Amino acid sequence: MATDTALEHNADVQDGNLWEGGKAPFKASYGKLMMWYFLLSDAFTFAGFLISYGALRFSMPTWPVPDFVFKTAPFGVENAPLIFVTFMTFVLIVSSVTMVRAVQEGHRENKGGAVFWLLMTIIGGATFLSSQAWEWNNLIGKEGMSVTTNPFSNFDEGGKYLSAEELEKAGFQKVETESHGAAATYFLHPHAADVPDNRFFVKADHHGHSLAGKEFSAGNHYLITYNHSTHLYEHGAYLAESGQIKKEEFGPRAFGALFFFITGFHGFHVFSGVLFLTIIAVNVASGLYVKRRNGYEMVEKMGLYWHFVDLVWVFVFLVFYLL
Amino acid sequence: MATAANKSTAPAPHDVDLLIEEYGYDDHFHEHHEGDKYQSNFFTTYIFSQDHKMIARQFLITGMFWAVIGGLMSLVFRLQLGFPEESLAWLRPLLGKWITINAETGVGTLAPEFYYALVTMHGTIIVFFVLTAGLSGTFSNLLIPLMVGARDMASPFLNMLSYWFFFLAGVVMFFSLFLNTGPFAGGWTAYPPLSALPQASSGSAGGMTLWLISLTFFVVSVLLGGINYITTILNLRTKGMNMWRLPLPIWAFFVTAVLGLLSFPVLVSGFFLLIFDRTLGTSFFLNEIFIGGQALDYVGGSPILYQHLFWFLGHPEVYIIILPAMGIVSEVLSVHSRKPIFGYKAMVYSILAIGFLSFIVWAHHMFMSGVNPFISNFFVVFTLIIAVPSAVKVFNWITTIYGGNIRYTSAALFGVGFVSMFISGGLTGIFLGNSAIDIQMHDTYFVVAHFHIVMGVAAFFGMFAGVYHWFPKMFGRFMNETLGKIHFWGTLIGAYAIFWPMHYLGMAGVPRRYYRFDNFDTFSHFSAMNQFITIAAVLVFAVQVVFIVNFFRSIWFGRKMTTRNPYGANTLEWTTPVDVPHGNWPGKIPTVQRWAYDYAKAGEENISQIIPLAEGEHDQGH
Amino acid sequence: MAQLDYAEAKKVVLKGLLILGVVTMGEVFVALFGNGHIIHGFYLHKIVFYPVMIVLSLYKAYFIVYEFMHMRYEVKGLAMSVLLPTLLLVWAIIAFFQEGNSWHNRRELIKQKDQESVHSQPAPETGMLDDGRTYQIQ
Repeated sequence: MATDTALEHNADVQDGNLWEGGKAPFKASYGKLMMWYFLLSDAFTFAGFLISYGALRFSMPTWPVPDFVFKTAPFGVENAPLIFVTFMTFVLIVSSVTMVRAVQEGHRENKGGAVFWLLMTIIGGATFLSSQAWEWNNLIGKEGMSVTTNPFSNFDEGGKYLSAEELEKAGFQKVETESHGAAATYFLHPHAADVPDNRFFVKADHHGHSLAGKEFSAGNHYLITYNHSTHLYEHGAYLAESGQIKKEEFGPRAFGALFFFITGFHGFHVFSGVLFLTIIAVNVASGLYVKRRNGYEMVEKMGLYWHFVDLVWVFVFLVFYLL
Repeated sequence: MATAANKSTAPAPHDVDLLIEEYGYDDHFHEHHEGDKYQSNFFTTYIFSQDHKMIARQFLITGMFWAVIGGLMSLVFRLQLGFPEESLAWLRPLLGKWITINAETGVGTLAPEFYYALVTMHGTIIVFFVLTAGLSGTFSNLLIPLMVGARDMASPFLNMLSYWFFFLAGVVMFFSLFLNTGPFAGGWTAYPPLSALPQASSGSAGGMTLWLISLTFFVVSVLLGGINYITTILNLRTKGMNMWRLPLPIWAFFVTAVLGLLSFPVLVSGFFLLIFDRTLGTSFFLNEIFIGGQALDYVGGSPILYQHLFWFLGHPEVYIIILPAMGIVSEVLSVHSRKPIFGYKAMVYSILAIGFLSFIVWAHHMFMSGVNPFISNFFVVFTLIIAVPSAVKVFNWITTIYGGNIRYTSAALFGVGFVSMFISGGLTGIFLGNSAIDIQMHDTYFVVAHFHIVMGVAAFFGMFAGVYHWFPKMFGRFMNETLGKIHFWGTLIGAYAIFWPMHYLGMAGVPRRYYRFDNFDTFSHFSAMNQFITIAAVLVFAVQVVFIVNFFRSIWFGRKMTTRNPYGANTLEWTTPVDVPHGNWPGKIPTVQRWAYDYAKAGEENISQIIPLAEGEHDQGH
Repeated sequence: MAQLDYAEAKKVVLKGLLILGVVTMGEVFVALFGNGHIIHGFYLHKIVFYPVMIVLSLYKAYFIVYEFMHMRYEVKGLAMSVLLPTLLLVWAIIAFFQEGNSWHNRRELIKQKDQESVHSQPAPETGMLDDGRTYQIQ
């Protein structure tokens, strides 16, 4: 024991005397430490979400392919996989960079510079939020994805889409009906009861072009078209390699729920970050921090929070858009 | 400890004020804060106080309020279990429609749904409101600034918010007790589907919603408090107070705060997912499920996912409850046996080891819920390793009091009682940690006995030890020792009388959470034992009334504390004046010259931490 | 603290923008390349694809924490006190993912078992009498 304590003593000396009390052992004010540890606990909240995501994804036989789900961009761009989300990521990175600049100007006690770069950061955050709003709107409004419905899925075997004639030849009965004031045509197995689960449609894309005759192989992904006039999900009929006529099925439901939940929670962090940034920008501009003993430390703490938001996005981007 | 300081160089008794004046340092606190906003009127002194000592008192008294409620609930369901045939009609004025009275016989029966609500609320209230907030909230607030030599917490404002979020959580939970459909009734762990489907049971609707809101507020409170405790201990230690000179309670509160900081957020993520399942129809925790013959539209989720998220908090939570009690008991036993704590560093390392292990063993609560048996193997191994640091601590407590000059005060008795309870409950933990034995034992009264003894009663004993010990610091008066000893012996014997028989019930397979056992002939011969347990429970509660009367009576009429260090303790809180002012020390802040456990050294009975080392004297705190 | 002076710090910021931008571009490129968008019909195997993505993202995370959040210039103890606790998540990740996988396997097993048909003939019941003789009921 005596030798133990002697060794400890030497270790302490090497560490400098930061731990001797009366000093901040990490050379950081308690405010900054509090921010760090708050971020650590927030990281565990996100970890809880992302690990749940992983567990649920591992429990599913299939999972939507991201570069198929996220392939549209504003201004009518289609078939541009991951381009829009790359743009969003860049916006967030740039806003992080401007935040670093704001912190540096704060260190120099340059009020004008700090306000300018804070404003740039706010613009970056707002751009990111707007982009996310567009993305959600597109997924919900156009593709028909929701917290309970995931129209993106994968074929488990190859086949080709059938046309109306082929379905009728195979004995399916054609039903013309009206849903929410619009005409809808679908096909039923002979002798099948007319319930939504039994309805087969002729596959068409968002523009109404028929995909009949198009071939695909196992593992290919598909989107169940949401018809905005009839408010129906049109499950296309296809002839599988096994010779059976099959209907497209919804993808794992957890995908939509997890996507909206986790990106929403991150978006909420961005949103509150923008609010706090605005408050701090106003405070800096009013000269509040000039009088303070710790000067512009508030800008630095805000910077930590903002970079954390960027940090979380790295992982959200990874698990939802890349893997 | 080879170094025996020469008797001639041993420091003479000093006057504390002179020592602080000579060695302390002046932070000009009172020039900034004299007549400041903190303690200027009734509201800022007693209600929205930012003084850590007042916040500690608020935590303690709120915790006691909840302890009474939670205890009374347990009495009601114990009456049901012990005397299922007796009429509970006399409870109708209190419980209203939850007691149904047979029109012919006049016999009142407890509604089964309310029995489950009582069990659920008893668990939630005692675990979160009493043993988390009431224990670590009280003593972290009271002792951290006083023991590390700080004027107050790092952020007094966030500290105040921490209490008021706790209060808010309590208010919401209290409201839920008066809902028409009753409070949540699906067990304190709130497993889905009972918690995820509002239509699943009467308590699953409004009761569960309020439960979630309440506990979310509670987590905010824990995080605000925890961040404050950590930064205070790191940054605001007085000069000379290096980490190896910290009294053990501070180490315990530190690790407790870290555990809370890392585990409660994961619980929150589980809660948010649960809220989505309840309100938006997502299927995170729900798979194909029928209610009343009707299929519900859920697919693909897993209730076990919630259990994993819950117990990732839940297991550290057990240590959030027990670690502060361990720290308090270490200090109390050392002070009252007039001996240095045995193996200080081993104590610190075992606290750290327990803290670490608590994060990797959570699934041992789920062996029988359908987790993969393969992964269970790892959890068994990790779980059994916890026995090692726990045993180190028990060994050290016993060797601390061994050969000591023990003062049998109420605080010391409760300290010893804690060790006894911790051993009894800890041993059954080794049984339950084995997944093979758990197949037989899970969800029986064996489990109930285990966790009540090891983290319920033991943590209460630690809390009582702390209250008796630091009551003079909190209120300037002593609690009555005679009543304290009645309280101790009643609680010790009573608690064993309640929980010891439960082991036998459990080994015979009597399941927990059952409303009554009439339908099971095999359990019928336990009815006498159940009656015995119930009577013991009523007596133990009566003894707690003695404590509460003693507590409140002593606040105003107790024996006054006249000297500032009545126990001859070494730690800094006893260097403050009898009436501790805001800022804790009227002048300079004392500096620390030695570790906290110099008892029976160099011919002195105790040497306060502020007394400088004598020439050639070796300090353990280095 | 090894703080940089202002001009140096500004340079680091630009460098950071460049590095994060390039790594993100790299990630997106690998994602598109690996999923057959660049060379039609060419797919990277998951064993290559996943680790590359994870390593690139971890590098980004490291860069954000160490440069933008200034962890590099903090005392080592602070860095460790924030970073080491996240290692607790490693075991959580292993356990949760393993669990998810086992739910998947068991659901498959249940599906399989559901399709099994049961022997329509009840098996003959056999047993032993008290005196040791065996019997069989057809």
